[in-house]
Amino acid sequence: MATQTESTQHTEPTQETQRSSLSARFEGDLFVHLALVGSIFLVGLPLILAVIMSTQSTTEIYEVTNLGVGSAGLSNYETALTEYNLMQYMVNSVVMSVVIVVGKVTLSLLAALALVYYRFPYERAVFTFILLTLLVPVPVRIVPLFQLMADLGWANSLLAITGPYIASATAVFLFRQHFTSIPESLVENARLDGVGPLAFLVQVLIPMSKGMIAGVSVITFIYAWNQYLWPLIVVSDQSKQVIQVGIKFLQGASQSGLTEWGLIMAGAVIALLPPLFVLIVLHRPLLETFAIQQK
Amino acid sequence: MSDFTKPYTSATQAGLLLVPTLVVLVAFLYYPAVETLRLSFFQTLLLGTKQQFVGLDNYVALATSAEYQKSILVSFLFAAAVVVGALVASLFISYLLFEVKAGASGYLLAAIWPYALPTAVAGTILLFMLHPTLGIITHYLEALTGLTFDWFTSGPLAFFVLVVVAVWKQLGYNIIFLVAALNNIPETLTESAQLDGVGRLTMLYRVYIPLISPTLTFLVVMNTIYAFFGAFPLVDLMTSGGPNNATNLLIFKLYRDAFEFSSLGQASAESMILFGIVSLLMYVQLRFSDRHAHYGA
Repeated sequence: MATQTESTQHTEPTQETQRSSLSARFEGDLFVHLALVGSIFLVGLPLILAVIMSTQSTTEIYEVTNLGVGSAGLSNYETALTEYNLMQYMVNSVVMSVVIVVGKVTLSLLAALALVYYRFPYERAVFTFILLTLLVPVPVRIVPLFQLMADLGWANSLLAITGPYIASATAVFLFRQHFTSIPESLVENARLDGVGPLAFLVQVLIPMSKGMIAGVSVITFIYAWNQYLWPLIVVSDQSKQVIQVGIKFLQGASQSGLTEWGLIMAGAVIALLPPLFVLIVLHRPLLETFAIQQK
Repeated sequence: MSDFTKPYTSATQAGLLLVPTLVVLVAFLYYPAVETLRLSFFQTLLLGTKQQFVGLDNYVALATSAEYQKSILVSFLFAAAVVVGALVASLFISYLLFEVKAGASGYLLAAIWPYALPTAVAGTILLFMLHPTLGIITHYLEALTGLTFDWFTSGPLAFFVLVVVAVWKQLGYNIIFLVAALNNIPETLTESAQLDGVGRLTMLYRVYIPLISPTLTFLVVMNTIYAFFGAFPLVDLMTSGGPNNATNLLIFKLYRDAFEFSSLGQASAESMILFGIVSLLMYVQLRFSDRHAHYGA
């Protein structure tokens, strides 16, 4: 790096400059803290306001600048969950996301096991074939995919909103990467002991990949929970709908001509809670998995 | 891997392990993608019950449609604005997170939470907060600037609002990768520059950005894909493509043509064009970075 070679020509900093740079450091740190708190506050502000206003009655909402905790309390949440069926949509979303997470992790572990620990013809071709699917996100195949669901009789079903998502190039790639980093001596031991492939997967690979499995699960859960376009298209029966599309139904909520924004904000907060909770609890494996994905 | 003895050799077993993944990928990814290409040469009539081969007619109709041309332009501008906005904002916050000495892990979690923010939730919250008459942020913004911020009727303002929401939602993802990249830089590469008393911004621009350029390239690609494909809920919930088609992104137009107007052939052609645009952009971005990125770290 250019900066490195340049710096060798400079003389050592004297004590005096060291001291002044120390106080500059302190002021600098203060600036960093202030700037951080400021930016984090700014990024969080809409959410904080949404939480406050989810407690307000429609009259309070229409005062616009009213920033107090509202008189509606938790009743907006209750109404949204019961009268507007958000409870049902939440259950549907949880089922969908969990099925996608379990399905994707299972399928990808099996595929990675074959790719790393089996000798078979066309290994590279198979791996490339899997990776190439990264190029075709849902919008690129949405019309035939929709027709396929209709032909299979899957419209409005859990199969339709999970099936297309349970195989994944990214997950196979990540598990494959991780497996290749597992010490060969363990593999050698398993081979000498004559351990079968599935026992090897369950007894050796999975325990050694806990962090990675947790990371892929968080990423997949948040991704699945965020689905909007596909459920909107393939689910027409409202009671089968997921929460992200469910908050769209809330938009029509009004009381004597006034849109019930307090209720809508309550719905938005509800729809955010599960992925937020998962992120907070499992942010460590998530960060580690992302760090590997990048390499 | 080459000197690694694979413990298992049964090709049949390997096949069985791969079958579930391959079946799903072929049935739900490869087949529909190829079928999209085929359908794009057909015109579908009577709600898709009849198909008629029309060659390139769908593509020609799109190329000559003023509405579609505008949609392409709007999508490109949107992607550019989202990529630049999201990267600048997240780079600023990530650099602060990298520089801060105390409380770094707490700050990190407080900064990356938008990663968990569903796009539809982001759109719904800001639809209200920025509402022209009821939005509290709009209220203070107008009080401060003396301008009216009626993005329900102004195309450019609606476009700007969508960009802001899209950037907001994307911050968490970008920050996760940028902070990891900054922390991965070996200290030997940067400490001499630090001793020189170079200012923070100069350090960022001259030292850190070149060192993390592979990550920046990766994020440019991912944010481009997000802007073209992932912003659908924002348009659907906030603007419905209006006013005056100012926010009619390609993905939204595609959805409407397919599922509101049942022009399945034309919508398939739109899918192919969208696929072409995004693939081309990815190719250009990766080529560009190959030539300019510093892979020193």
